Amino acid sequence: MKTIRTASIFMVVASAAACAASMPPADLVTARATYSRAAQGPAATLDPADLHTADESLKLAEQSFARDGDTQGTRDLAYVADRRAQIAEARGGTIQSSDQQQQTLGRMHAAETSQLALTSGQLGVAKTQLVVQGQALAAEQQRREDADKRAAKAAADLAAFASVKQETRGMVITLSGSVLFASGKSDLLSGAQAKLSEVAEALTKEDVESKIVVEGHTDSQGGASYNQDLSQRRAQSVRDYLVTRGMASDRVTSEGFGLTRPIADNASPEGRANNRRVEIVVQPKK
Amino acid sequence: MHMSIIPAALAASWLALGCAASFPVPTQDQAQAQAAERSAVELGAASQPKAQLHLELAREQMNQASVAIKDGDNARADALLLRARSDAELAIALTRDQSAKTGAANATEQSNAQRITNANQGATQ
Repeated sequence: MKTIRTASIFMVVASAAACAASMPPADLVTARATYSRAAQGPAATLDPADLHTADESLKLAEQSFARDGDTQGTRDLAYVADRRAQIAEARGGTIQSSDQQQQTLGRMHAAETSQLALTSGQLGVAKTQLVVQGQALAAEQQRREDADKRAAKAAADLAAFASVKQETRGMVITLSGSVLFASGKSDLLSGAQAKLSEVAEALTKEDVESKIVVEGHTDSQGGASYNQDLSQRRAQSVRDYLVTRGMASDRVTSEGFGLTRPIADNASPEGRANNRRVEIVVQPKK
Repeated sequence: MHMSIIPAALAASWLALGCAASFPVPTQDQAQAQAAERSAVELGAASQPKAQLHLELAREQMNQASVAIKDGDNARADALLLRARSDAELAIALTRDQSAKTGAANATEQSNAQRITNANQGATQ
């Protein structure tokens, strides 16, 4: 009985010893796991050389374990194999990150190039628009200059047969009666119509709101009643003509003053000529 | 010595253990371990936690190797130096990997910022 018991104890101890001898050291277990992980990571494709080195290291550790069991030598080899697998893993990751960075920078460069092309295109469009606007501006400038020239010419022409004065009752354009009418008549001379057309054009352009009064004046030759009637008819003739040239009829009125408002001495021919006149009064806006 | 032959050297050192008395002082492996450790420091391994751990392990094992050499245990010293060198080289690889990851992350961040900027410019144009 005692012999059997001793044999059983011996068998258990021997079995445990055999089992311990076959158990790989923790360093080797770790190295296997690390290598397995590295082999499944980016190192497999991106850094096969370092992964191969790790594989060789692990084989040496496995051989040592198979030959000598769990010895310090096996543990040292497994330790180094684990580091080699980690190095392969890290270098694979490094290459992967570098590739990723390069791709990102490449995309950024492409995007910058694309954006640059877009901006360049927009700049081109803006430049074209600027050129068109510049041309339009130059044309407008030219139109204004032409209009100013025409206005200056019209003013010069007007000054040739009329005087313009600024008075408290408004701007007064004085036209000589001899330029507008034949003696004793109230029909406009043909030359006068052209002059009045210029006046009408100037008045229509400059101001479309102010009221205008056409005043007729005569010298003292003849009776007061005759001159009153003549001045009234002449003022009316001028007023009607201005309306035919585009001035609003409700803006323009006419009034005859006969011989009542001389501006010169009726004793002399020059004075009487000055008194025979039509005044166009542009009243200030109210 | 090329790093890929470290395990072979280690295996050789253990085969020579049987005749420990004749194992020479591993001056070459010691120099290589020290060189790897210096490189790791220069790369900034001390400021990167994972790399710092392996840098410290390398230093500890180099110190242990120095003690072993003093004790005349050159074979053990050699094994420790090879372990130290592998840790120092791992510290280098981890430091470089961290730098590469940071570079990639920065590039991604810049790319996103660029995308937003371009989108905003597109919206205002």
